[in-house]
Amino acid sequence: MAAQRQASSASQTPHISPAELSYIYTSLSLPGAPIRPDGRSATQFRPLSAETDILPGTNGSARVGFADGTQAIVGVKAEVERTALGIEALTQAEQEEYAAETGGNSKSDGVKQGSSSGQGSWVQMAIEIPGFRDDDALPVFLAEMMREPLVESVAGGGEGGMVGGLKGRLVINRRWHWRLYIDVLLLSQPLSYPLPLLSLTTHLALLSTKLPKLKSKGEEDPFFDDDWDAAEYLYPRAKSTSTKPSSIPGSISVHKVRPPVTLLVVSVAENVIFDPSREEIAVADAVLAISVTHDTDSGRLKLLSIRTIDPPSRLTQPGVPNSENVATLGSTAAAEESVIINPSTGEEEVPGVWRPRRGGVKRATIAKMVKMVLEKGGVGEEVLEGLEGVEVG
Amino acid sequence: MKSLRRDFSSDPHTANVTSKVFVRSTKSGKVQKIVRELYLRQDIPCSSRLCTICPTVAPEDANGNIAPFVLSEQPAGTTAFPRGHYIVPDTNALLNGMDLFEHTGAFYDVIILQTVLEELKNQSLPLYNRLLALIKTDEKRFYLFFNEFRLETHVKRGPDESINDRNDRAVRTVAKWYSEHLRAVTKSKKEKAIPAIVIITDDKENLRKAKEENVAALSLENYVSGLEDADKLLDMINESREARHAKEISGELFYPEYYSMSKMMTGLRAGNLHQGVFNVSPYNYLEGSIKVAAFDKPLIIMGRHNSNRAISGDVVVIEVLPKDQWKSPSTKIVEEEIVTKNDNPDAGDNEAVVTEREQRALQEEVRQAHGKNLEGRPQPTAKVVGVVKRNWRQYVGTVDSSSTSSQTTGRRQQNVFVLPMDKKVPKIRVRTRQAADLLGQRILVTIDAWNRDSRYPTGHFIRSLGELETKGAETEALLLEWDVQYKPFPKSVLDCLPSEGHDWRVPESKDDKGWNGRRDLRDLLICSIDPPGCQDIDDALHARQLPNGNFEVGVHIADVSHFVKPNNAMDLEASVRGTTVYLVDKRIDMLPHLLGTDLCSLKPYVERYAFSVLWEMTPNAEVVSADFTKSVIRSREAFSYEQAQLRIDDLSKTDDLTQSMRTLLHLSKILRQKRMDAGALNLASPEVRIEADNDEVGDPLADVKTKAMLATNSLVEEFMLHANITVAAKIYSTFPQTAMLRRHATPPPQNFEELINQLTKKRDMRLDVSSSGALADSLDRCTDAENPFFNTLVRILATRCMTSAEYFCAGAHAESEFRHYGLASPIYTHFTSPIRRYADLLVHRQLSAAINYEGEDGRATTEGSITRNRLEDICRNINYRHRNAQHAGRASIEYYVGQALKARGEKLAADGVDSGIEEDGYVMRVFENGVVVFVPRFGIEGVVRLEDFVLPGDSTDRSVEERRELVTRRESDFDPEEYTLKVTEKGHESSDRAMGVELFERVRVNVSSVKEESGRGVGKRRVRILILNGK
Repeated sequence: MAAQRQASSASQTPHISPAELSYIYTSLSLPGAPIRPDGRSATQFRPLSAETDILPGTNGSARVGFADGTQAIVGVKAEVERTALGIEALTQAEQEEYAAETGGNSKSDGVKQGSSSGQGSWVQMAIEIPGFRDDDALPVFLAEMMREPLVESVAGGGEGGMVGGLKGRLVINRRWHWRLYIDVLLLSQPLSYPLPLLSLTTHLALLSTKLPKLKSKGEEDPFFDDDWDAAEYLYPRAKSTSTKPSSIPGSISVHKVRPPVTLLVVSVAENVIFDPSREEIAVADAVLAISVTHDTDSGRLKLLSIRTIDPPSRLTQPGVPNSENVATLGSTAAAEESVIINPSTGEEEVPGVWRPRRGGVKRATIAKMVKMVLEKGGVGEEVLEGLEGVEVG
Repeated sequence: MKSLRRDFSSDPHTANVTSKVFVRSTKSGKVQKIVRELYLRQDIPCSSRLCTICPTVAPEDANGNIAPFVLSEQPAGTTAFPRGHYIVPDTNALLNGMDLFEHTGAFYDVIILQTVLEELKNQSLPLYNRLLALIKTDEKRFYLFFNEFRLETHVKRGPDESINDRNDRAVRTVAKWYSEHLRAVTKSKKEKAIPAIVIITDDKENLRKAKEENVAALSLENYVSGLEDADKLLDMINESREARHAKEISGELFYPEYYSMSKMMTGLRAGNLHQGVFNVSPYNYLEGSIKVAAFDKPLIIMGRHNSNRAISGDVVVIEVLPKDQWKSPSTKIVEEEIVTKNDNPDAGDNEAVVTEREQRALQEEVRQAHGKNLEGRPQPTAKVVGVVKRNWRQYVGTVDSSSTSSQTTGRRQQNVFVLPMDKKVPKIRVRTRQAADLLGQRILVTIDAWNRDSRYPTGHFIRSLGELETKGAETEALLLEWDVQYKPFPKSVLDCLPSEGHDWRVPESKDDKGWNGRRDLRDLLICSIDPPGCQDIDDALHARQLPNGNFEVGVHIADVSHFVKPNNAMDLEASVRGTTVYLVDKRIDMLPHLLGTDLCSLKPYVERYAFSVLWEMTPNAEVVSADFTKSVIRSREAFSYEQAQLRIDDLSKTDDLTQSMRTLLHLSKILRQKRMDAGALNLASPEVRIEADNDEVGDPLADVKTKAMLATNSLVEEFMLHANITVAAKIYSTFPQTAMLRRHATPPPQNFEELINQLTKKRDMRLDVSSSGALADSLDRCTDAENPFFNTLVRILATRCMTSAEYFCAGAHAESEFRHYGLASPIYTHFTSPIRRYADLLVHRQLSAAINYEGEDGRATTEGSITRNRLEDICRNINYRHRNAQHAGRASIEYYVGQALKARGEKLAADGVDSGIEEDGYVMRVFENGVVVFVPRFGIEGVVRLEDFVLPGDSTDRSVEERRELVTRRESDFDPEEYTLKVTEKGHESSDRAMGVELFERVRVNVSSVKEESGRGVGKRRVRILILNGK
């Protein structure tokens, strides 16, 4: 049971004493300028090392290592599969065709549309974390949390775009599609909550993924070019000579469409902190997994999902104020003067004494977190830019 | 956010490790990315005898030897490269000029790159195999250089570089490396000694880049032009080459485009399209048929447009045509030579894919199909939409004299048509500079391509076999046409022969290892009975009475497996040849002469190793027991069938040998009767025998004899059949999966439909095809008192309705399918002729394993085992060889008969008249514009066209041209339901100028050999049959 709880919460609870927790919390909650244990600014990421195409046998792969020593590799394999045409799919296609016809569009458009809707189940993700069985809650939950934005993010069409998003990209024709196997392997112990690491690695792996070039046309059985160099990227790339000014000054955006990334953001009091370390997560009021993607239409970032993650601080042992401590009972008089109400929980709070965080998080805080991720030149773009640097450089 | 990359530059091994990445699509539809790691090395030798370094570093085999160096130290020079040169061809050069590379006059010291070999393999498997064979021979000095594995010559593909460009670069890199390498290793020697490295490529871009990089490179044509005998060699360059980089196809497209591979595969899987082997009708070159798995009966393919560039033998994909385009099979003889007489080989604008004449010929057929006949109701037709595999080979033919331009001014290149010997193959357009020289020669050509804008396939000339009608040329032509391996045995095969040669003897001492497991049967009275003059005696027999009143009967077969050990060069050569081919005046042996006619041959008076099957039989020929053993025998006498018959019939002879032969004859008769009772068929084939040893003076036709059947023939035959059946059962029980067996499938009843119909209509006879026994009985009843040959004729026709017997591996069919239909035996194999059939040799090995014979070295028991896959490959090959050998033999006889007729004609011509020879003939098939007549005297069948009917009032001795003119005046009335044809002279309605023939009718014919004197096909000789009388 304990293991279960641990698994579903943000990470294994570090063995930190209530006094330490209180100290970290206090420094992180300093208004305006939190002081982080490693001296970073609130939005600063720890340095990471990353490379792509490390596994020659896969269609695409990446390795990312965080500064805290956690490392992950992701391999993407693709396989051609026959599409089982269910009654739904058939009727859907027919309806679309019908709609296309009545809507005055040519029939071929209708067919094209009909064939461009893929199924989310064509993307399979398996996560392996040392010490966990593959049916444990954490790997399963993580996999689903990453797969969902992946298949559900639907990008607009247009030049170099991907009609129907990843699902649409996997359609070969009405009868055939690609099935994608994304295998995520965490090489180290999950010291901190592994989601951002795994998400970034998967993102890079998908960017480097190539599918053999299709030579057959239309509804024929697929037939591919045997030249691997002719293979096409799963996420189409613009020509590097593109004259289009990129949305972010100074960045080289070769991808119009990119897989989403999921960032872990925590809030401590009024402060929003990115790339939290283990200790920082341990004291956070709220832990959010925010999935964003690049929106091809607006050229900006788009929010795909926010998930709250059970903050581990809830499970910590509370500190005992001196006023209640039998050992120190009566030795201080200060206890009475400093009764503060915790802003988020409304509970009585004694400064310097750790209380597990309880209750929700303010809307304003969440709005702030989201805004910091999404805004132009914000953290989200910075991350994507950094990842692009890995892939292109 | 910062990201870091790993830096590989400090790793010293990165340069040696690289990988090759490609996409592989499997049959099941999986698409895989394949990564092969390459570890580059520096010890791959250059293999030049000039090199002083490579021999010291070249990798050694287990015995410490290095592979011998191939490239000569003094390679031949040309005018451009007087110091000698090594040739480095690229893939295109090989594709376009493989015949040149095989030519013995030039192209020595060639470096074949691994890159090129692999590319060639992807583009053309046959060429790849030919190149491998070239690399294996020592004479041509071809060296396969593994450039991709050598550090210096490995080329990494650059970004945005196409595979072709990369491979071209690899070729140039190798050439550069070789020059530098040779210069470095031969420093001490004079500069003169270093040969030039010459790239041969037809790629303009590659030529240009080579020039930039200062590498010697020439196009194939330029290179060849610098050689002696350039004209001849230039003709051997592939013709389609120009089409490749020249022009988008210009002008009119005659043929529809093929479907893309993926479209065909989709269709095949979905069952909309079908795949099969394209066969052209021997009587109508515009009609083909395809047997596909989905339908019982073959589909018909009518006309050039539908056959869409398929050539007989190709594996094609077809689409069934809509029902309104279904037709009945044609009832007309259409020969390409006659219909397309005046085509111009230089493709003109007026060239249409279906000429008017052809169109007319087709229209006739459609009219027929829609006509009254119920019998020929329209059958499904199809069109070819793609070709899976071309089975083009080299074709023997003659230059069509009418297609050469009249003024033969020197060496100008011109287009000519080559008419292949095989009538099913369309004429081939060939560009040549030697048109004048090639007229009247048998030549070998190959097809290079058949583009959509060309009516006929284009090809190129390979070599001339010699003058038409010379024995050498015609024999070689025949062997080439039937793919018979006739080259002398290579040294590696001869090395496998016993070192004693003809002095080999059965060891005298029984302690010798040669006697291991052998029974001493030297005291038995064994004799052999064969056709006269037989040298390769496979089998011998004996019979003797046992004390208990039963008989011991022995069949002794030459022990070939003792001399031919599995998997040595001789065994492999024999497995490729598959069978000995008998021509009229020549025998192409499967095994070297020494074995076939001496050491294995069961010659009389000498001791020989044998494999014996011994039965104990009751006087009623019931088998009591059977025994198999390796043995040593001494044949007492070698009889011919006639001699044996005489000896048996000579009542004055009462010696033991004669008595035993009488016993054998007696038993064989009982066996035969039993077999007949079981339902064996007595089939007939239109065979004649040529006894070619006659002197020059007599009538050449006297050599042509129909095969006589003596009782002694059937004596030998019965015991051989019996031995085969006994052995088949034995090896099957030991090797239920891998026994080598022979089956004759029960023919499907619809094969007989037409024959049954014909017999019912014409003779009111019934053929019962429900079982082989029923068929045998009903065939016996098909007799005509006035026409004794009628029965044989029906048997010949019935045989043609059946499938041919085939070798197979026991695991390939269910036991119920093992049946031999013709022999009415549940299981059968071939055991009795190991000298001339490879199957028998395999069966010998299996049988010796089955009886635990250990052989000289105790290894023989394992020799019989062979994997099923390998066995199936062998079966496929020997079935093919067997069929070809039969065809070649028949073609040889046909040719001989033609020559005999010609010789006779010439002899008579000296006396003033060549009136041919009159014989009886029988009508086998009736077409709308002719009939097929079989002449038993010569074993030939020939087409008789309308003009060759000698109507009352015609004179017989008209020349070919005069007769040809008659055709315009002839009219025919064809009744497909009654199988009759009535020929009349136009304008003469009355019956005095008319002749009618019908199926099965006996007609009097005039057979002669005629030569075309003018027009197309000048100098072509054929056997002409004139029908002299009918009804």
